[in-house]
Amino acid sequence: MSLQFLSPIYLLGLLAAGIPVLIHLLTRRQQKHIRFSAVYLLSQSRQRSIRRSTPNRLLLLLLRCLAILCFSLALAHPIFSFTGPQSLLPESPSATVFILDDSFSMSAATKTGGSLFHSAAEKFGTLAKSIRKETSYAVVSGSAEARVWKGWADSGESVGKLISGSVASFQTTSMGRAIAEAVHLLDETSQPEKRIVIFTDLQKNGWTQGDLPEFSSGDSYKIQIVDFSALQAQPNRAAIESVSVDQEFLTNTRIVRVRAETRNLSKTQPLAQLAVSLWTHDKKLSEGMIDLPSQTLVARDFSFPQPGGEPVEGYVEIQEDGLMPDNRRYFTFQPDQTIKVLVVDGDPKTVEHQSESFYVERALNPFSVALSNIEPTVSTLNELPQRTIMDYSVVILCNVRELPLGFEIELERYVLHGGALLVALGDQVDPKYYNEKLGSLLPVTLETILTVPPDQDAFHFALEESGHRALNVFTGQPLLEMRDIQFHSIYDVKPREDAASSIPMRFSNGSPALVESDLGKGKILLFTSSLDRDWNNFPIQPTFLPWLQRWVKYSAHSLESLSHQDLLVSQPLKRWQEGLPGTTLFVQMPGGKIVRPPQSTDEILFRDTTHPGVYRVYQMAKEENPGAQEPVETVVPALPEGTELAGTFTVNVDTGESDPEKIPLAEIQKLLGNLDVELIPVDELDKSTAPQEGFPFTTPLLLLVSGFLFWEGFLVRRE
Amino acid sequence: MNPQDTFEYDPQILARISSLKLQAMGLVEGILTGHHRSHHKGSSVEFAEYKDYTPGDEIRHIDWKVVGKTDKYHVKQFEQTTNLKCTILFDASGSMGYVSSHDRGLSKIDYARTLVAALSFLLLKQFDAVGLTLFNDKVVSHIPPRSKPSHFQHLLHGLASVEPGGVTRIQDVIGGLVERLPGRSMLILVSDLLTREKTLEHTLRLLRSRELEVILFQVLHPDEVSLPFAGDIVFESLEDDPSVGLDPLDVREEYRGEIQRQIAHYRIICESLGINYVFLETSTPLEQGLSYFLLKRKSQVKQ
Repeated sequence: MSLQFLSPIYLLGLLAAGIPVLIHLLTRRQQKHIRFSAVYLLSQSRQRSIRRSTPNRLLLLLLRCLAILCFSLALAHPIFSFTGPQSLLPESPSATVFILDDSFSMSAATKTGGSLFHSAAEKFGTLAKSIRKETSYAVVSGSAEARVWKGWADSGESVGKLISGSVASFQTTSMGRAIAEAVHLLDETSQPEKRIVIFTDLQKNGWTQGDLPEFSSGDSYKIQIVDFSALQAQPNRAAIESVSVDQEFLTNTRIVRVRAETRNLSKTQPLAQLAVSLWTHDKKLSEGMIDLPSQTLVARDFSFPQPGGEPVEGYVEIQEDGLMPDNRRYFTFQPDQTIKVLVVDGDPKTVEHQSESFYVERALNPFSVALSNIEPTVSTLNELPQRTIMDYSVVILCNVRELPLGFEIELERYVLHGGALLVALGDQVDPKYYNEKLGSLLPVTLETILTVPPDQDAFHFALEESGHRALNVFTGQPLLEMRDIQFHSIYDVKPREDAASSIPMRFSNGSPALVESDLGKGKILLFTSSLDRDWNNFPIQPTFLPWLQRWVKYSAHSLESLSHQDLLVSQPLKRWQEGLPGTTLFVQMPGGKIVRPPQSTDEILFRDTTHPGVYRVYQMAKEENPGAQEPVETVVPALPEGTELAGTFTVNVDTGESDPEKIPLAEIQKLLGNLDVELIPVDELDKSTAPQEGFPFTTPLLLLVSGFLFWEGFLVRRE
Repeated sequence: MNPQDTFEYDPQILARISSLKLQAMGLVEGILTGHHRSHHKGSSVEFAEYKDYTPGDEIRHIDWKVVGKTDKYHVKQFEQTTNLKCTILFDASGSMGYVSSHDRGLSKIDYARTLVAALSFLLLKQFDAVGLTLFNDKVVSHIPPRSKPSHFQHLLHGLASVEPGGVTRIQDVIGGLVERLPGRSMLILVSDLLTREKTLEHTLRLLRSRELEVILFQVLHPDEVSLPFAGDIVFESLEDDPSVGLDPLDVREEYRGEIQRQIAHYRIICESLGINYVFLETSTPLEQGLSYFLLKRKSQVKQ
């Protein structure tokens, strides 16, 4: 038996019942007592005028109050039904696991101003109050963590407070993991009826087969999915998918360029004049408008000068839509970092200028001071095993015959982690070794050396004006000069079928001059001629220096520095350079909270990346007591003295969660096999047993109101 | 000794007496200027004592026998009696104690006291015997009629010590009293006549049948006539009626009609029985009431 109100807001009108009482109290006259002689005459007079009996003010008051109460109740559309509220709570004892989806898609605003998660938590709160004692229940979060909010034994009160006080996380949905956790919990109980109730917005992301447990035919879990997506005020229209920052190098202006890629998530509706703004250090730098055809990714570039060279942190934001977290994407950038380059000389000579690395070293740092921000270190093959290549951004192999044993594996790991490798060939190179051992690194195989006889015209660069970021400065005179460079010998290369590569430069005979390929987070460049004067006169040309520097900076840019660890929410921060173990680190989180991560020798340094934003990493300048760090994460009230900024990194939301597409019931049914799955839209749940099944009380209440008013009028008139 | 002869020296009562005396004497002296002679001639001459003749004494009162025996002039003195005995019945019931909350004039009981005091003084001045009986549902106190000038003090004391209370039962009181009243005497009844009794006519008729001359003073406060109150009021009875809570506005017209009907009723009865009925509101100056009384008396004596 239940009584519900379709428009409960009108129940506030019940308060108006106090108005007649208030008026009665305010207008009530003070009763006076007078000692009088002819009281018997007064009684006689009153008896004679008894027809005008004094009105029963209290009865009038009662009638007026009742009329207002009934009117308010009538406005609230009461529905009375003999059946109880929805069957989410069965009559029989059962074990129920509630899965509350707290992924960031649940933070979408509802029509009433809250969020979907808030509505779900509220709904859960009211439901939890009516859970019978025989019914045991647990609560699991539906985001990537699949956290158990309440086990079987925990008290319901504390979890109610916990859930009502929490907000949606910034994680993605992982319904598979949550269901697996729920099944795990249900397996622990001995209750005969086992049910899973999922409060979700049916975001398609996160319903993956891989995470789901294997259901056998004997499993009889009943799954009820309450769909909250109908409450969402407006759909999620667009999301910023990526923000990349780079610098216009080799210019004196030091322009930082930010490129934001925004996707229109709607399949049908194009978005016109969507505002995109760039904010750095909490100041709006610029704003632009973009037009987004449906389902497309549109990039918008912003550039701004950064003359000081100090680190930049900020975010790009698009105007509000149904879902806020994916409208903003954070970035950090450290301009003009010193690039450490390891030059491996495969053909060292006692005469310095005959060495293979002579011109390279001069070109990278022409004045022996760090003007170009490139710091070359020359190493012979014999010294190579002693070097830690992870400390370098770029490794240049100059005419190397073959690498020390096993070094190619280390080199591959280095590139995968974001290192850049520039391979220049020469007469020492053993093509067989390169083709066999460096197969996973190089996208091409070395074929034969093409040599031009002295009486014939040498090879030249077949170079046109290029939009390639490393080459776009070569226009006009420098381009003509580049074309005049003579190459006597070049390696002919053949692309590997299984490797993707691009060829930004070619020779006049059509052979590739430079082959560019990506591996992991790193970049590999192969120059098919030599970087000394053995095979060409390139190193003594004025264009050699900018050419080499640009390629080094271009390739080093993809190096995994701290600021390039663009993490997604909940992804851990990994070690970004060697030698970190033993140093005390502090991480300042976006809210200002400072945390000292536990000391560990793992790759992972910090896991608490729950909120999107810019995280700052500080490290002790001097380790006073190395190894004294605590094994657990501790919150520090303020940064201790002697810390310096080691760098910043960003955490952003996974835009996979932004997709407004909902998973249909059929697909869920397919994923969950033969389990009994029921989909209940949330408004159906609110209406409990559909209103048409209940008895509406509006008309009887209105009749009562008119009855009360009629009676009241009669009494007043008789007065 | 008659207990009435001893006064209780309660300062409050004494103060009341003195003010009553002054008021009464003032009133009477003012009215009686030029009417010094009594209209009642004493018929009984009873020897009281001898006194030495002093010039100015009437020569016809000189006892010549004594002159003959003693050669001294002695004047015979007589105790003068009067043929009028007047009894004043004073209503001391609770309803007489009504004090208006907004009117600062004389209260009803004070008005009645002053009236009675003035009447007594007037009568005593004419050597009539005056008695005073206070009653509510029974006789509270009784001062028998005397004509001595000093009797005035007794009356005043009796008046001053009136504390209103109890229920008005005029019939019972007069019924018990009428046998004791001297025939052909005068009875003055001072009351507000606010009683549930319907038998006043019968009582008055009884009095008239005893050939008593009756003067009826009905004293009412203007509040009791016009019911000027407003608001939500609980009227508590000064007698034994149950309290009534009402808005006076609702019953005012009815009440006024009722009280006027009652007054008219008494007036008609009295007229038919040959009784002098005087209606006094406490707002009416006392002189007016007294003058009216004297006028009536004079006209009756002439008849």
